[in-house]
Amino acid sequence: MLAPAFALFPHTRVVYDRSKAGLELGACRAATGRAKAPMADIGDDIGIALRMEGVSKRFPGTLAVDGVDFAVRAGEVHALIGENGAGKSTLMKVLAGAFNDYTGQVSLNNKPVLLHSPAAAKAAGIQMIHQELSLAGPVSIAENVLAGRLPRKGPLLDRRRMLAECRQHLARVGLELDPVTPVEEISLHEAQLVEIAKALANSPCILVMDEPTSSLGREEVARLFEIIRRLRRQGLAVIYISHHLPEVLQIADRVTVLRDGRKVATEDIADVTSARLVEMMVGRNVATLYTQRRGRPGAVRLAVRGLSRWGFFHDVSFSAASGEIVGLGGLSGAGRSELARSLCGIDPLDAGRIELDGRPVRPRNYRDAIAAGLAYLTEDRKAQGLALRMTMGENMLSAIIPRLCRFGLFSRRRGEATMAELIGSLDINPPQPRRMASALSGGNQQKVLLGKWLLACPKVLILDEPTRGVDVGAKVTIHRAIAELADAGTCVILISGDLPELVGLSDRILIMRRGRLIGQIPRGQAGETSVLLAANGEGRLAPA
Amino acid sequence: MTEPAQIVRGDGRLLASSRLAGTLNVLGVYILVAALFAIGCGISREFLAAENLLNALRAVTLMGIVAVGVAFITYSRHYVDLSIPGIMALSGTVAVWALQYGIVASLAAGLAAGLVIGLINGMVVGCLRLNPIIWTLAMMSVLSGVIRWAYAGRQIYPDEATAAGRAFLDLYHHAVFGVVPLPVVVLIIAAVAGHFVMRHSGYGAALKLTGSNYEVARLSGIRVKRVVAWAFVISSLTSGVAGILLTSFNKVGAVYIGDGYDFKTVTAVVLGGMTLAGGRGNVAGVMGGVMAIALMNNVMSLVRIGEFTIGQFQQNIVQGAVFILVVGINSFSRRKAGRDDA
Repeated sequence: MLAPAFALFPHTRVVYDRSKAGLELGACRAATGRAKAPMADIGDDIGIALRMEGVSKRFPGTLAVDGVDFAVRAGEVHALIGENGAGKSTLMKVLAGAFNDYTGQVSLNNKPVLLHSPAAAKAAGIQMIHQELSLAGPVSIAENVLAGRLPRKGPLLDRRRMLAECRQHLARVGLELDPVTPVEEISLHEAQLVEIAKALANSPCILVMDEPTSSLGREEVARLFEIIRRLRRQGLAVIYISHHLPEVLQIADRVTVLRDGRKVATEDIADVTSARLVEMMVGRNVATLYTQRRGRPGAVRLAVRGLSRWGFFHDVSFSAASGEIVGLGGLSGAGRSELARSLCGIDPLDAGRIELDGRPVRPRNYRDAIAAGLAYLTEDRKAQGLALRMTMGENMLSAIIPRLCRFGLFSRRRGEATMAELIGSLDINPPQPRRMASALSGGNQQKVLLGKWLLACPKVLILDEPTRGVDVGAKVTIHRAIAELADAGTCVILISGDLPELVGLSDRILIMRRGRLIGQIPRGQAGETSVLLAANGEGRLAPA
Repeated sequence: MTEPAQIVRGDGRLLASSRLAGTLNVLGVYILVAALFAIGCGISREFLAAENLLNALRAVTLMGIVAVGVAFITYSRHYVDLSIPGIMALSGTVAVWALQYGIVASLAAGLAAGLVIGLINGMVVGCLRLNPIIWTLAMMSVLSGVIRWAYAGRQIYPDEATAAGRAFLDLYHHAVFGVVPLPVVVLIIAAVAGHFVMRHSGYGAALKLTGSNYEVARLSGIRVKRVVAWAFVISSLTSGVAGILLTSFNKVGAVYIGDGYDFKTVTAVVLGGMTLAGGRGNVAGVMGGVMAIALMNNVMSLVRIGEFTIGQFQQNIVQGAVFILVVGINSFSRRKAGRDDA
């Protein structure tokens, strides 16, 4: 795999050598001593720790990152924001060495580097802190922090030096924990800080933080920001990815906005407001074609009161009518998927009542829920939605196996007529039920998944990211199918991080934030801007 | 716009190769059977003698019965039930013990004992989600301990003086309609029923989805725990039946009678195209796997080069090697094709 990539980009061939590249933290520090460039767009090379020029990454069918220029100074916190699918994570994956076939130039401290493997990226001084921690629970803090380069004395572990080094690294993030404590015994926010200490122990030049505050409380966030500021003073370049705009405004020095794989702008944080950032993120014309709805919402079909699952969502009450599409907006981690899963009996519920057509239901498991008329289309198509090594037809019929049985005998034929009709109306291509699901494109797989739940004829269908990672054509088809489904009287609840989709399809949008339902936006007033502001805890909302 | 075409071509090739692999998996074992048959004919004149072929099949009849049950476990992606030798021994000894209450009670008690163990296995592995290998290994140890303890390490014999005892000893040798041996009839019934349940019942459809992707099955409203538990119950039923027949053949109820059946059956299952990754293959293929092992052992026992013969020990070596080869090739080819979503 590597050889052809090198053949394609011979000009980018360089030798990895940390000492040559001068990437020790000390070198970074020296670079910061110089004056900062005053303007937002960097024209000179002084104090630039990272420069990406014309970086592109193509996936089959889409250009995920399209000629992005991006520069980070040593000693600054640079926020990277954008909607889901804007290309943030792909761009950072390029930086982490996840791809060997990106195009464009990356330089660190004005020296071109080739980031074709994770090892190369690490060697170049790039460290990532992901949302999910990469610590081993049963192992001590010291061994986690110094993983891969534990100090040795001959063939043995030099325990004293290990503990001393670890204490030093922990001190940098303001932690005073005993290094021999197993990681599973410390709290989540402490683990987050240990993760940072681990990244710093590799003396990075660039530190990328992906939603570092998602698991932290208010005070812990303040503490984290203090540490980030200290690191900034020490000359580290921090790339800060977040959906939480207030935090971005608080901590970042500059911000770069991505949209549809392209860079919109890089601005000094002093020059922008939340509203301006949202405008830049959304940017596009909302006049994308959304089919006109024919039907009218009917009687109340689903009513939930005081639904809670401790730690995930709290005291959620709302109702939805038949023939209505209710959007559920919010940032990732706001508890929307968790609410949907508990509603359908997949995960447990701690409190609350669910009424379906006026009758109380309490599904003990998902099978009960499906029988009662509730269905949930998962956001994780590959792991939870489709059995990829079974055929398309088997997958579409998989949710209605009990209904295809008579006296225990299973016959596909009973479902085949409806299935063939659905394959036609969803325009699944190629229309061959015997084809392996894994051989279908992402868009067609998603249509198969939708078809699977349409065959179950639910009264309430909850769609979680129904068009994630699909092409435009499939998206239009799926949107049309959802609208038709609602017109036919089904109550649809739509969870989507794709704002144009959420705004364009929904009759009204409920907003969740940090596990609570904080209000709703009626159709007339819903725009991408208002939804995004509301999800960030700003703007005005009607009570739900 | 050239790229999508390439993608389609790439996909198409992958698809073709996987379809070929799938067909080969099930058909392949019968090709192997035919090849072994040809080798047998070439190697020795005795091979084609009706007596020899019948012996070869008789030697694997009980293994075939057990393999039908094991196939359900492998299909559900829970690999194998290592407590099978224990269940066989338990069913056999309990049946011999219950002979004092008559032949019907004896058979019922023997089967029930096996089913109880299957039920426990199913509850623990299916509902509590314990690792199937480790749990059934522990169950095996417990069972052999219990049987040894109950009879203080002695073996027990059916009493030939009673009518029930004689009926029990006649089980294995009884010929239905005066021609077909009872074990063969049981095997045919088990295989046909197993194939039918796997392919044409609601349970089979749920089992396939569960074996292919447990999480997807759970999120399709399948009661996955129950589905997995039933696979272990089915396996314990076939093990119990085979255990009783084997006890009848050996004329003794003893703790060691089922030794080796755990590994031999899973070899037959895997050789028959039912991959350890679950949700693939069928009972027809498994029967091919059983036949292939029968012929392989038979051919090996016929090899005589001067002083050199292939005995039981060497046959074990070959069986182990075949298992590793089949599983190895299978997972390697799937990983190569990028299809190992397991």
